[in-house]
Amino acid sequence: MSDVRGGDGVRTAMTPLIKAIGLEKTFRTRGRDVAAVADVSLEVARGEALGIVGESGCGKTTTARMLLRLEDPSAGKIIFDGTDITTLRGAALLKFRAQAQLVFQNPFDALNPRFSIRRALAEPLNNFGVPIREHADRIDAVLHRVRLTPPAAWLDRRPHELSGGQLQRVVLARALIPGPTLIVADEPVSMLDVSVRAGILNLLREARDALGLAAVYISHDLALIRYVCERTMVMYLGQVVEEGPTKELIANPAHPYTRALVAAVPVPHVAQDRAQLPIRGSLSDAAAIGGCAFRGRCPHAMKICIELAPTLRTITPTRRVACHLEGTMS
Amino acid sequence: MSLLSVRDLVVTYATRAGPVRAVDGVNLDVPAGSITGLVGESGCGKSTLGRALMGVLPDAGRIAGGQIMFEGTDIAALSAPARRAIAWRRLSFIPQTAMNALDPVQRLRAQMLEVLIERGGLGKADALARASELFHLVGLDPIRLSDYPHQFSGGMRQRASIALALALEPALVIADEPVTALDVIVQRQVLDVMRNLQARLGLAMILVTHDIAVVAYACDRVAVMYAGRIVESGPVADVLENPLHPYTMGLTHAFPDLYGDDMTLVPIDGTPPSLLHPPAGCRFAARCPFVQPRCAEEPPVTDGDHHAACWRIDEAAELRALAAIPATWMPK
Amino acid sequence: MLRWTRECRSVRSVSAGLRFLRAEPFAAGGGAIYATIVLVAIFADRLAPYPPKAILRVGARVARYLPMSSDHWLGTTSSGRDVLSQLIWGTRAALAVGLTAAVAVVAIGTVLGLLSGYLGGWVDRVITWFADIVLGLPFLPSMLVLASLTRPGTTVVIISVAGLLWPNTARVIRSQVLSLRERAWVEAARVTGCSTGRIMFVHVLPQVLPLAALYGSVAIGWAILAEASASFLGFGDPDMMSWGVMLQEAYANQALSRGAWNWFAPPGAALMAMVLAGFLISRGSEKLLFPKLADQ
Ligand SMILES: Nc1ncnc2c1ncn2[C@@H]1O[C@H](COP(=O)(O)OP(=O)(O)OP(=O)(O)O)[C@@H](O)[C@H]1O
Ligand SMILES: Nc1ncnc2c1ncn2[C@@H]1O[C@H](COP(=O)(O)OP(=O)(O)OP(=O)(O)O)[C@@H](O)[C@H]1O
Ligand code: SF4
Ligand SMILES: [Mg+2]
Ligand SMILES: [Mg+2]
Repeated sequence: MSDVRGGDGVRTAMTPLIKAIGLEKTFRTRGRDVAAVADVSLEVARGEALGIVGESGCGKTTTARMLLRLEDPSAGKIIFDGTDITTLRGAALLKFRAQAQLVFQNPFDALNPRFSIRRALAEPLNNFGVPIREHADRIDAVLHRVRLTPPAAWLDRRPHELSGGQLQRVVLARALIPGPTLIVADEPVSMLDVSVRAGILNLLREARDALGLAAVYISHDLALIRYVCERTMVMYLGQVVEEGPTKELIANPAHPYTRALVAAVPVPHVAQDRAQLPIRGSLSDAAAIGGCAFRGRCPHAMKICIELAPTLRTITPTRRVACHLEGTMS
Repeated sequence: MSLLSVRDLVVTYATRAGPVRAVDGVNLDVPAGSITGLVGESGCGKSTLGRALMGVLPDAGRIAGGQIMFEGTDIAALSAPARRAIAWRRLSFIPQTAMNALDPVQRLRAQMLEVLIERGGLGKADALARASELFHLVGLDPIRLSDYPHQFSGGMRQRASIALALALEPALVIADEPVTALDVIVQRQVLDVMRNLQARLGLAMILVTHDIAVVAYACDRVAVMYAGRIVESGPVADVLENPLHPYTMGLTHAFPDLYGDDMTLVPIDGTPPSLLHPPAGCRFAARCPFVQPRCAEEPPVTDGDHHAACWRIDEAAELRALAAIPATWMPK
Repeated sequence: MLRWTRECRSVRSVSAGLRFLRAEPFAAGGGAIYATIVLVAIFADRLAPYPPKAILRVGARVARYLPMSSDHWLGTTSSGRDVLSQLIWGTRAALAVGLTAAVAVVAIGTVLGLLSGYLGGWVDRVITWFADIVLGLPFLPSMLVLASLTRPGTTVVIISVAGLLWPNTARVIRSQVLSLRERAWVEAARVTGCSTGRIMFVHVLPQVLPLAALYGSVAIGWAILAEASASFLGFGDPDMMSWGVMLQEAYANQALSRGAWNWFAPPGAALMAMVLAGFLISRGSEKLLFPKLADQ
C-alpha cells in the first residue's frame, strides 16, 4: 500500500493511527475452513470515523476483533501508532488495550450482572494502573460525558436496574474511561429502541469530536453509518469491494454490490424507489470460486469476472473499488 | 367494512407483582387486502396484540375485555374450539422467532404437508402440488422442499415460514417482526415477497416492526403503539408526513435517513411507563414536550380515519413545527 | 421481549432460592432431610439419651440385645450400647465426613472445570482426559485399593471421595464456563485489561458457584455412603462413632440372623435418607441445571 490515500485533503498529511495490511482470518471448524476475512487493508486517522458495512457474515465483526487483538489474524499486519501490534503480548498488549476500546452490540449482555456501575467503571482503571485517588474524579467525569447525571445516582446500581439506553451509556463510559485513542463500535445501537438510538449516536459523535478519537463503526445500516462516519468501507465475503467518502458512496455507488446495498435501504417516506433490487440470489448460493467473489449475484457479470479477481483500484483520489466494470460503465 | 376490527381490547399477563396490562384498550381496523404496519418500541405490546388476535397467548396471558370482530364475528367471545377452527383457516400468525421455530429435524416438505393435510384436509398429491406452489410464491425453488431448515439462510427460512403461514389461504396474516433479524438486502427481498402476495392474493397483513422506514416501504396503513395503546393510526402517507401525535413526531426525528440533510437526530428522553401501573392520563405524558395539566389526568380520546390519542390534536400543525426543533426534546 | 428477559434475569439470589424450593418439591424434600440431619448433629449431645459408647447394665448384667422400649427407643447392641444414641452421634461423623468431602469435591471440580472450560486447548484436553479416566474407575474398589495402600481412616475416605467424584462437578462447570465465556461481558473484561486469572476467578467463578454448591450437596450423600462402606469393610476409623461402624458391628455380631433389625435397620435407613436427599436435590434442580427443558 504505497499510495497515500485520504478521505479528504486534510487527512492525507496525517499518519494513520491504525493501519491494517492484508488482514486474513480463517476459522477451522470441524474439518471445514471458513475464510471469514480474506483480504482487508484499512487505515483510520486520529479524529476520523470509518464505517464498515456489508451483509451478515461478510466478516465485519471478525475484522474489528482483529483490529482490537481479540482475534489473532491468520495473515497480515496491524500497525497502531507506528508500532506493529500484530503479535503483542503481556504488558505491551495491556498498554495497547488502554488505547483501543470496544463498544458492544448488546448492552444487556456487556456488563457483568454482579458488578455495580462503580465497580464496572473502576475495573479498567485498576487494570490499566490508574492511581486510586484519581478514580472518583475520572468516573465522575465520564458519567457526565455520557449524561448519566448526577453520577452519584447511578454508581451503586446494578445493570438489571437500568434500561437498554442507560446500559449502553455505561458501556460507552467504560470504553472511554481509560482514555483511548481508538474506539470500535460493533452495531452499537441495533439492540436499542428507536427512540433512544439517537441519544447514543449523538454521544458517540460528541465523544469523538471532543476527544479527537479515531473510530470504526460497524453496521449493516448504511443510514446509520452515514450519520456517524465520513468514510465508509463496503465488505463482501471477507473482502473490501469499495471504499470512499460516505456521502459520495451513497449518492454514486461504484460497485454493483454497493448499488444493491444502497437501493435496499428503506427510507421513512412513502415516496421511494421500490424497483427490483439489482442483485440475484443470496449469499448462500453465491460461492464463486476464482474470479470476482460477487459474480454469482452480479447483474453485470462479464467473462473477465469469471477469470480474474478484481483488485481494489483507485478511481478518484478518495475512492477505491474492486470491480472490472469500473471504467467501462459509470 | 373492515376485515378485522378490534375494539377496546385488553390483554393482561398474570405476574407475581400483579396483572401486567400489556394491551390496554386497543382499537384497530384492518381493511381487507391491505398491509397494516404495527410499530412501537420494545415491550409496548405488539407481540401480545398479535398473539391475542390469533388466540395463541402464553399461559399467563388472557383477554380481559373488548371485542375482536373478524369477518363479522367476535372471535374473542367464541369458545376455544370454535375459535381455533376459524383461526387456523382464515388467520395466520408468523411468530417473532419464526425463523428459528421451524422444526430442525424435519424436512420442509414434511412440515408443509403436515399443515396442508392435517389442518387443510388435502390429499397427499394435492398437498405436494400446493407445497411446491407455495414455495414458488415466496420465491424459493420447490426443489429445496427436501432440505432441512439449517440448510437455509436466514432470509430463506423467513420465506419458508411465510410459505407455511400461507398454506391454508388465510384472509389475514399477522407477521411479528418478520424482517428484524435480517440484513437490508434480504429484508428488502422478504418485504417484496409480502407486497407481491398482497397484490396477487388480495391478502391482508399486519406487519409488526419497530422500523418506520420498513412501514414506509411496505405498508398501506400504520398503527403506532405506545405502552399498551394505539396512539396514532391512519394511512401511511398521512401519519408519516403529517403526524398528529407527539410520539410519532418524535420518532420521525429519531431516525437517520439515507438521504436527508445533515440534521442532528433527536432522541426521546425517558422510558415508557410500567404496564403494571400505567398512568391514568396520556401514556406519553411523562416524555412529552407538549404536556399540559389535563394530559396527566384523563386519557385522550380518539376517532377517525387518521386519528391520534392526544389532547392537543387540534394544534398538531404548530406542534409539528416545534417538534422539528431539537431543543424541544431536550430533557427539562 | 428484551425487557421481559431482563426482569427474569434480575431475580436476586435469596428470594430466588426460596421461591425455587417452593416451586420444586423434590429439591425441598432433599433440603429438608439435610436440614434435619444438621440439626440433630448440632444438638447430638442433648438429644442422645446415653453416651454412645457407654456399656449399659441392667442390674449387674450388661444390657445386651434389649428390644425397643421406652428406655431404649431403638434397643441396645450386643455390647449393651444404646442404638438411638449411636445413631444420633453418628450424624456428627456423617456430617464431618460428608461436608469435608463435598467441599473437596467442589473445590477440585470447580477449579479444574473452570480451567478446562476457560483456557481450552491442551489444558482442556488433559483435564478432560484425566476426568474420563477417573470416571471409568469403579468407585468402591478404587477406594478400597487406596485405603489398603495407606493407613485406614477417615482421611483416606475423604481423599478418595474427592479424588473420585470431582469429574462430575468438573464436567458441568466446564460446560457452563464454555457458555459463559461467550458472553459479551467476559470479552469486555478482556478488552478492559483483565488478566486471564482475574477473568476466571473474579468474573466467571461467582457465576458458577451456585451450580457448584448444588453438586456439592449431592456429593455429601455419596461421601457418607462411601465412609459407611469403608467402615463396614473395616477400612474406616474404628474409634469414630459412625453409621458405617454401627453396621459393621451389627454384621460382625450376626445381628441379622438374630433378627435384631432394630440394630441394623436404623443406620441403614439414615444412610439411605442421605443418599436420597442428594438424589432429590439433583432431580429437583433439573430445571435449574438445564433451563432449556423448562423454556416454553
Ligand atoms: N469463532 C468462529 N468460528 C468459526 N467461524 C466463525 C467464527 N466467527 C465468525 N465465523 C464465521 O466467519 C464469517 C464472518 O463472521 P463475522 O461475525 O465477522 O460476520 P459479520 O460481518 O460481523 O456478520 P453480522 O453482520 O451477522 O454480525 C461468518 O461466516 C461466520 O460464520
Ligand atoms: N408471558 C408473559 N408474562 C408476563 N408478562 C409478559 C409476558 N410476555 C410479555 N410480557 C410483558 O408484556 C409487555 C408487552 O410484551 P410484548 O412481547 O407484547 O411486547 P413487544 O411490543 O412485542 O416487544 P418487542 O418489540 O420487544 O418484541 C412487556 O412489558 C412484557 O414485559
Ligand atoms: S395528550 Fe398531552 S402528553 Fe399526551 S401526547 Fe398529547 S400533548 Fe403530549
Ligand atoms: Mg457482526
Ligand atoms: Mg414482540
